[in-house]
Amino acid sequence: MIKKLGSGASLALVLGLLYATPGYSQANPKLSDPEIASVAVVANQNDIGYAEIAQKKSKDAEILKFAQTMSNDHKAVIAQAVALVKKLNVTPKDNAVSQKLLADAAKERKSLEGMSGKAFDKAYIDNEVAYHKAVISAVEGLLVPQAQNAELKGLLQKVVPTLKAHLAHAEMVQSNLK
Amino acid sequence: MRDPAAASRRFLYLLCTLLFITACNSKPDQQPTAAPPKAPEPAVYTVEIKDMKFVPDSLVVKKGDEVIFVNRDMVAHCVTEVGKTWTSSAIPGGEDWMLVATRSATYYCAIHMVMKGKIIVQDSTGK
Repeated sequence: MIKKLGSGASLALVLGLLYATPGYSQANPKLSDPEIASVAVVANQNDIGYAEIAQKKSKDAEILKFAQTMSNDHKAVIAQAVALVKKLNVTPKDNAVSQKLLADAAKERKSLEGMSGKAFDKAYIDNEVAYHKAVISAVEGLLVPQAQNAELKGLLQKVVPTLKAHLAHAEMVQSNLK
Repeated sequence: MRDPAAASRRFLYLLCTLLFITACNSKPDQQPTAAPPKAPEPAVYTVEIKDMKFVPDSLVVKKGDEVIFVNRDMVAHCVTEVGKTWTSSAIPGGEDWMLVATRSATYYCAIHMVMKGKIIVQDSTGK
């Protein structure tokens, strides 16, 4: 049986490929700070996009509340990131990771748009669990170690507890849906 | 010639007048009165909302003490009693909210439901 890869699994795959690339190592950064800023912003935008679909399609109170929190929190994180890149006079730079994230999110949104009712709720929250796991892994394993600027690194580190709380919240909602 | 009886009467009159004045001016026996005991000033405690946690997540206070919740995160939080008898409503990042502790409570952030804490209110005997 072929199992569809959600956006979380795709992100993990992207990171896995990056780590597996010959010559690549964590001690030899591949992403510049402007590229890291781009990945961070895109990762947050993706989850806002999923939340917008949930708010449009779901009738489940817990899903709607969770989606609202994701939308508010990720917008707050983007606001902080934008303020920082302005302060540092850095322009987020498109790169292979952010492009892959965008492409995968487009596929995931299309898939979610085609669902309804409980199937949608389950697909949305399953994706949220997988996506947050993958993003936490990416921030801790890739973005933080490679960030050169101390303030950018600090912001990325500060986001991790928020992502972990989101994951725990998503798992709680997922458990209540079953 | 002076009348000795009249002089005695004048003396008695003066004496009575003096005694009367003294009696009027004297105050009743007084014990030094202590000022009524002042209620102790409420203590002020701070709970930081930091890295998606209430720090400390458990706090022991006395009735009437003030607890200030300071949101140090970049996202909004709230402080809501589990029975929803009270709530702070949303506290944006960088802002704070004060609770006057009247009874023990377990609370959580209704925005991020995995964040929990409690306040234990003791009476003056420490119970």
